[in-house]
Amino acid sequence: MSSTARGPRWRLTFIAVLALAAALFVAACGDDDDDGGGGGGGGDGYTMTLIAGVRGDEFYITMNCGAQEEARKQGVELDFQGPDEFDASQQTPIVNAVTQKKPDAILIAPTDTKAMYVPIKQAADAGITIVLVDTTLEQPDLAVSQIASDNEAGGSEAAKALGELIGGEGKVFVNNVKPGISTTDARAQGFEDEANSLGLDYVGMEYNDDDPAKAAAITKAQLAKTPDLKGIFGTNLFSAEGSATGVREAGKSGGVKIVGFDAGPKQMEDLKSGLVQALVAQKPADIGRLGVQQAVAALDGKPTKKQIGTGSVTLTKDNLKENPDIPYKSEC
Amino acid sequence: MPEPVLEARQIVKRFGRVQALRGANLTVYPREVVALVGDNGAGKSTLVKTMVGVHPPDGGEILFEGRPVTVNTPHEARDLGIETVYQDLALAAEVDPAANMFLGREILRPGLLGKLGFLDKPAMRQRSDEAFDALGVRIQDTAARVANMSGGQRQGVAISRAVTWASKIVFMDEPTAALGVVQTRNVLDLIQRVREHGLSVVLISHNMPEVFEVADRIEVLRLGERVAQLRPKEVSMEDVVAAMTGALTFHEEDRQA
Amino acid sequence: MTTPATPTDEVEAEELLEEEREPWWQRLVTGSSTSIALILVGLIVVFSLLRPEEFFDVNNARNIATDAAVLLVIAVGMTFVIITAGIDLSVGAVLVFAGVVAAKAMNEVGGDNWGVIFVGLATALASGLGWGLLNGFLVAKAKLPAFIVTLGTLGMALGSALLITGGVDQRDVPFKLVDTIGSGRAFGEVPYLVLIAAAVALVFGVILAATRFGRYTYAIGSNEEASRRAGINVDAHLIKVYAIAGTLAGLAGFMSLARFATTTIGGHSTDNLDAIAAVVIGGTSLFGGIGTMVGTVVGVFIPAVLRNGFVIVGVQAFWQQVAVGAVLIVAVYLDQLRRARYRR
Repeated sequence: MSSTARGPRWRLTFIAVLALAAALFVAACGDDDDDGGGGGGGGDGYTMTLIAGVRGDEFYITMNCGAQEEARKQGVELDFQGPDEFDASQQTPIVNAVTQKKPDAILIAPTDTKAMYVPIKQAADAGITIVLVDTTLEQPDLAVSQIASDNEAGGSEAAKALGELIGGEGKVFVNNVKPGISTTDARAQGFEDEANSLGLDYVGMEYNDDDPAKAAAITKAQLAKTPDLKGIFGTNLFSAEGSATGVREAGKSGGVKIVGFDAGPKQMEDLKSGLVQALVAQKPADIGRLGVQQAVAALDGKPTKKQIGTGSVTLTKDNLKENPDIPYKSEC
Repeated sequence: MPEPVLEARQIVKRFGRVQALRGANLTVYPREVVALVGDNGAGKSTLVKTMVGVHPPDGGEILFEGRPVTVNTPHEARDLGIETVYQDLALAAEVDPAANMFLGREILRPGLLGKLGFLDKPAMRQRSDEAFDALGVRIQDTAARVANMSGGQRQGVAISRAVTWASKIVFMDEPTAALGVVQTRNVLDLIQRVREHGLSVVLISHNMPEVFEVADRIEVLRLGERVAQLRPKEVSMEDVVAAMTGALTFHEEDRQA
Repeated sequence: MTTPATPTDEVEAEELLEEEREPWWQRLVTGSSTSIALILVGLIVVFSLLRPEEFFDVNNARNIATDAAVLLVIAVGMTFVIITAGIDLSVGAVLVFAGVVAAKAMNEVGGDNWGVIFVGLATALASGLGWGLLNGFLVAKAKLPAFIVTLGTLGMALGSALLITGGVDQRDVPFKLVDTIGSGRAFGEVPYLVLIAAAVALVFGVILAATRFGRYTYAIGSNEEASRRAGINVDAHLIKVYAIAGTLAGLAGFMSLARFATTTIGGHSTDNLDAIAAVVIGGTSLFGGIGTMVGTVVGVFIPAVLRNGFVIVGVQAFWQQVAVGAVLIVAVYLDQLRRARYRR
């Protein structure tokens, strides 16, 4: 490559910047078609952004699908954003940037009940309507509405499902994630209460740190301790998976029943293959739908519901056909 | 005969199971160019490295101006006034010639800044330019990276560095091996100039014509030992080659100057 | 008469006649960080044109700078490490560990005053320094590859942090810390976090460019053996370089703690790669010997500006990753082209 020092290099840089600009224009314009409502056509014409807890999670993707549907109906333009990891340090810059855009409303699943207060408050102070979805804040008053699954009720459903699977009586155990997560803690609590009231023998709970290998180890240890254990409730994906692995490795497949939580693609696979026998599925699409509705209501000056609890559906291999929309989606 | 400025006696060096030097000797007198020759694997580079602190020897002794010394690090060699131009040049390619010239011996700014380690780059650049000029090494842009220079220029930088800092001896390991005709000429002239400056040069070389052109004496190394001390004026190139391969043997004699 | 790209002895005579020293302004303009700085400027211009009110705004600039501050502090340390042809994968984990330990220490001492904050800072720096020294020692003395060593310390630091906290983020941070350093501004305009990051970049940038320590860093990265033979204590220097990286990661941990008022254990798993990417985008070579602090600063801001700009423009979440990756590749590719023309 023999040439003088100036010419081609400057040209290349210039071309690159042009290409970037072109790419950005395309991306920016191409977007407006993706958002609901083709911008401003009909209805209220509000702009909103849904900020997920983490970007690639089927739970939030499904939530977005429900929200987008509702947005289309209401003539709302809805953006979807989310951090790479479920963490306040990554969600904060996104909230700050969205605040700059000044949408009419933000629907957000805060990744930390305390740390996310400041950036969300700044958005509220800028006049943006806030709806909290899925997770919440320690001080939720700045939101017009909080919408989440009733996790305690979900745990309760899990106990009922497990009770049915094991024939109404026997020893049951909870494989939980880690202390301090409001959702899984509520599920475990709901399970314990219902199990006791159903007359099941609740032998205890352990934390697996959201690690399937640990969950498996805990399961095997528990089986050794309680050879006549009949059922396990795994409060999230890894807990259920680890429990299934542990049961299989202990040679007790079929003898011990497992109920998991959430219905993502991996969980559906486990259900269909018989690794777990039932799943308590949340309804994230409902959360998304309701979120948009509440935001529109607030913006229209109408009253909103401060707290809404969405329900759950217990899935088994048998009732899958009747519930085609329940499993979480990876794309809308 | 003046006292040798540097003498290595019975140097032994092993690398694992390989005996690289089996009692090798080397004698360097002041103000001379002595060529260290030998076939591949004779141990020339190794011998030099034991004398300049790169690998300390396993046995034998080194005498500097008559007194025994240990040379365990390159620093200790430099303190004695010995500098080396390695076969691989040992230049930091991504920095400029001035930086290489002063590597390890940087000029610091005066006063407090200097105590904090701030470099006096203009001073270093100027001194390098002077050194290059004095030795006839032509480098246009002393701010350019050494990596962008030709082999001859790099060789020039490495030699200038060694010559500028040395006060007694400069070792040069195959300095012309990778050079073309013009550059080789420059290096050979440079070597003569170095001797005129008052230093001794130990020149490792394979190239008999070069050796015969610049060297005052030739020491032949074979299989890790010195087998001959010859003068180019007194022998032929074939004799030297024969000594290298063992076809001829010479006795070590103490020769008068 | 054309100048061949590979000078040989035969044409050296001709060359000597043609070459002349580049004027200083030309050297600045063709300098290694300039083309990447141009790309950054280009991005800012494009986003400003697309969304003038929202993007090109003091508040937004403040946001971007604050978002970039913590990563910049880590990247400064990483610059030194990479110039020595090394690498440090443990920075994100050390950041988390330092934040955790600092939070615990401040809780132990109790109170909400500068004294407590100082304890926290000292603890964070000391823990970062400790991990850095360990890295440096293993790389320099035990001669283990930096990749493996720092991967190991990554595991140990993060694991230790998880052990200490039981996996739950530590939330009790003295309010004064969050209020002043975390969200406070100097002169009402410049966030303290940004000031700290800028000061770190400036000080270490000067060290890199103008001191013996900086020069030794370049020399060792360019040719470690030559540096040894020149009498430089390479082992000691490497230990110092990794110690710097570790200490700065500790500082970054403290800054993150101040900003978010929580230890954010789960949010730093890609900090190491982000820092390495920033340093490399800025023109530092992974093979060592080349790099500038200015380049690193630019390299940190390019992804920060991209992410902020994409959200404001409304690029959907999934496209962002594709776009950021594409821009990075283009930026580094251009830089490589420019390098190639100067290399033999």
